[in-house]
Amino acid sequence: MIEAFLETAAPRGANVVLVLEMAMGTGLLLGAWLARKRRFRQHAWCQSTIVLLNFAVVAVMMIPSFRVHVLPRIPAKLGKAYYALATTHGALGTVTELAGLYILLSAGTSVLPEKLRITKYKMWMRSVLGLWWVVLLLGMATYTRWYVPHLFRK
Amino acid sequence: MRRSVCIAGLAAALVMGMGVFGTGRKGSVTRAQQTTSATEVKIDNFSFGPVALTVPVGTTVTWTNRDDIPHNTVSTDDPKIFKSKVLDTDEKFSFTFSKPGTYSYFCSIHPKMTGKIIVQ
Repeated sequence: MIEAFLETAAPRGANVVLVLEMAMGTGLLLGAWLARKRRFRQHAWCQSTIVLLNFAVVAVMMIPSFRVHVLPRIPAKLGKAYYALATTHGALGTVTELAGLYILLSAGTSVLPEKLRITKYKMWMRSVLGLWWVVLLLGMATYTRWYVPHLFRK
Repeated sequence: MRRSVCIAGLAAALVMGMGVFGTGRKGSVTRAQQTTSATEVKIDNFSFGPVALTVPVGTTVTWTNRDDIPHNTVSTDDPKIFKSKVLDTDEKFSFTFSKPGTYSYFCSIHPKMTGKIIVQ
């Protein structure tokens, strides 16, 4: 994996984020497996840790990069892959992370009023897991577009 | 079966997305207005060319991004002697070197891209 990164033009921070996100995506699948095995306590810890860790990664690493490199050029340059992929990843990722936090608050705490709590847990959790993986794949595509030379040359 | 269909659908969507988005040179381009550009460094395919450029004192060097993704050029000195904004395709940045010395620089988006200007 390190050799693969040496072939890209990515800064170390982007590589760290990519590895973390791939690990978190795998971790969520593991967490879903724990729920299927009816190990709900471990399931809750696993998924909550990942949602909160991802929130930190997004706040510390992704948002600052997005503000500098993408935000000044949209919507004018949305027709270009570089900006379109990052923007789609950012928008869908925001929705997914917020939905993850909502599930966490609704299922794991009593902070939310009764009316706002989820009743169809399985549907919500499966949807967010699916979306999470779509966002992860978009993130990998964004990384490829930003940092891998030669790939799109004619 | 349904799971395999979902995975195949996701993979297809990703491949289609990359194919659609992978045409970076199309679309409108804003060219920066520049004055005289005595010497040019081209940015192409994730590299500066020439990597090392020797110029006399007082030369204005212009970096032009010929790549299909954005780059910038930032001096490695502290404090920074020059720092461009993010340059999109065909955008330019110029800097006049008024003192002799060796000025190393890099692209802060892709830090492995480096170059230097030798001012004599």
